[in-house]
Amino acid sequence: MRWRLIKTEPDASMKQVDDAFNEDLADSVLVTKLQDLVAWSRAHSIWPFNFGLSCCYVEMATAITPRHDIARFGSEIMRATPRQADLLIVTGTVFRKMGPVLQHLYDQLLAPRWVISMGSCSNSGGMYDVYSVVQGVDKFLPVDVYVPGCPPRPEALLQGLILLQEAVEKDRRPLAWVVDETGGAERIAKPNQRDLRTPERMAVTQLAQPTTVGDAPLSGELLSSTRSDRREK
Amino acid sequence: MSELADQSATDTGVAMQLKAQFGTDCLFQPTVDGIPTFWVSKDRLLPVMSFLKNQIKRPYPLLLDLSAIDERLREHREGQPDADFTAFYHLMSLERNEDVRIKVALSDADNRLPSLTPVWQSANWYEREAFDMFGIVFDDHPNLRRILTPPLWEGHPLRKEHPARATEMDPFKMTPEFQQAQQEDLRFVPEEWGMNREAKHTDFMFLNLGPNHPSVHGVFRVALQLDGEVVIDAVPDIGYHHRAAEKMGERQSWHTFIPYTDRIDYLGGVMNNLPYVMAIEQMAGIEVPPRAQVIRIMLAELFRISSHLIFYGTFVQDVGQMSPVFYMFADRERLFSIIEAITGGRMHPSWFRIGGVCQDLPAGWDAMVRDFIDYMPKRLAEYERMSMQNSILKRRTIGIGQYDTAEALDWGVTGPGLRATGCDWDLRKKRPYGGYDQFEFDVPIAHNGDCYDRCRVRVDEIHESLRIVRQCLDNMPGGDYKALHPQTTPPPKERTMEDIETLIQHFLNVSWGPVIPPSECTMAIEATKGINSYYLISDGGTMSYRTRIRTPSFPHLQMIPLISNGFLIADLIAILASIDFVMADVDR
Repeated sequence: MRWRLIKTEPDASMKQVDDAFNEDLADSVLVTKLQDLVAWSRAHSIWPFNFGLSCCYVEMATAITPRHDIARFGSEIMRATPRQADLLIVTGTVFRKMGPVLQHLYDQLLAPRWVISMGSCSNSGGMYDVYSVVQGVDKFLPVDVYVPGCPPRPEALLQGLILLQEAVEKDRRPLAWVVDETGGAERIAKPNQRDLRTPERMAVTQLAQPTTVGDAPLSGELLSSTRSDRREK
Repeated sequence: MSELADQSATDTGVAMQLKAQFGTDCLFQPTVDGIPTFWVSKDRLLPVMSFLKNQIKRPYPLLLDLSAIDERLREHREGQPDADFTAFYHLMSLERNEDVRIKVALSDADNRLPSLTPVWQSANWYEREAFDMFGIVFDDHPNLRRILTPPLWEGHPLRKEHPARATEMDPFKMTPEFQQAQQEDLRFVPEEWGMNREAKHTDFMFLNLGPNHPSVHGVFRVALQLDGEVVIDAVPDIGYHHRAAEKMGERQSWHTFIPYTDRIDYLGGVMNNLPYVMAIEQMAGIEVPPRAQVIRIMLAELFRISSHLIFYGTFVQDVGQMSPVFYMFADRERLFSIIEAITGGRMHPSWFRIGGVCQDLPAGWDAMVRDFIDYMPKRLAEYERMSMQNSILKRRTIGIGQYDTAEALDWGVTGPGLRATGCDWDLRKKRPYGGYDQFEFDVPIAHNGDCYDRCRVRVDEIHESLRIVRQCLDNMPGGDYKALHPQTTPPPKERTMEDIETLIQHFLNVSWGPVIPPSECTMAIEATKGINSYYLISDGGTMSYRTRIRTPSFPHLQMIPLISNGFLIADLIAILASIDFVMADVDR
């Protein structure tokens, strides 16, 4: 057994030890409410289901790769089975033949579960108003975030994921299994991002011109073939 | 018609040979693309096809395409026999470097045809597709059932009376009963495919792989008959990605269909625009200026590199190497920064136009392209050491999923899959289109025809594409990026400001789209995955009367049972990866 004697009145040397201990404590101990902690960790460990329909899937896969690196947001763990995943990203065209399969997969996701609709086809049918395509996955699945684009850039998907995370972090779910009317799933709010961002977007006055590439230098021979030059001819 | 027959006899050998064999039964039809086209009666179909494949000197071993046309609303059919439906067969001869098209007239009351499967096994899926889309019945077909639409579908979508838009039909509702019925209908029943549930000493297991599985590259399903882990037989099931591009072609104007072509082979980007716009240009008689040609080739080759990089990464990932795919996607991002600077888009720029390209190249493009083609070979050398020389990868892929040239042609395999068997058939070399005759490049081939060789050929093709891009960079001609032909869409904007005639032309071209004279034309190119061709029929309108899209991946998937039976499931994954398909390229 290890033991030591301490003085009944603390002196300066002991005060020092005490301060260091409190500092360490502040660095390594987090005091919070359990439900806040759960919401925070849910938001930052959303595991997507490895599910792809068409072109958008390639851009989703691109979001995992180095330049975009979805791991920064805690969502790099792609699950091959819906039973281990929290998030269904509907990447691509929802076909009538595929619809029942998709519904079956969604049913296997355990609550809490979220759906991101990625790309125009999945949002609304997009350019495919045609007999074999369901006009938007929200015809049969509840959607939390819509990501526009055909296909959306990987950055757009990441933005969608961040929006979802912000909503999930604010969401307080019961910590125990409860039976209520909603089945434990509360829909998250979907504010219109276009309206929110319009002032910021309208403030941009300098747009990149399609006739030049960033700051690339103009070489002499190239100048002779630019559009303005040839118009004079 | 007899003078047409005489005319055909003088310009091609096949007309003479057919005439000698079958007398006047073969009716010649002139087409814009110069492919000899003959009408035969349905009872002569099998003898004619068998003659063309087996007996004729320098035969036609490749069934490139088989589909049908709904003729009931077509106005311009001068010189063609009466028909409600026409089935057409497109054959290709490597020895002759020539094609031939055979057509059979069918009436609505009697739309039955003998099945071509005794002559070409690859006709199986094509006939199922024609049955699904047009309701044409092929007698003696081994398993004539729907292939693209769901099994419970009503009607035949490419018939003119079938609605095109989803919004013309009843809204889609997912009731539990509907889901249950559809799912039940997808249940695999081995007996329907002539499979036994047990053999003398074993009970077979049936495994359903897909339509959502990480290693089937999209929504593709294959049902496997297994003895332990050994694949005894496989039944590929497609149609989960049917986006109805061919029906779409009948309602979009010639110009506004271009974005839909991008999404056929969605890794091929603008490469898909090429056969489509070239077919229209041929029908309208548009000459594309050299600058536009070279820009097109450069972008098409950049997209070939991009597509092959994804293939490379996913292929080695599927056989167990987890890291390389990350490097290859990073390279693809570099490539996309060029594509973005030039076209403004990433995967689907829709950037080619009828008569040229959308815009001129932006100032500074050359530095970006040069950076990339200087950077890429070093990376490829690294990947070569990391992946292609990797002993595990070699053992997983050499000798797996092997086929020879004859089998490949018989099953309609084209592209790298054919060149891996030692056959140097590359349309860029054999039938240089769109200016490819101006470039120096080699056609990489390999000889074993296995998974490893299919990867080998694609890796070597990346090097050749870089060579072509460098030549584009060093020799980019000046001049216009769009033809001055009145059908060029949209016409050069600058000229509309000068006189009323060009202003009217511009207005009509932009609002209605160009009117293409009544004609038929096929344009085939060497796309990233094989031969991609568009067979366009104009009835003299602003829209196509029939758009037939022949995609390479469709026949490639049909071949899976042949090359995977007897291997393990893990080998099947390597085989699937080595085929390099995307489902949009299969189901369209």
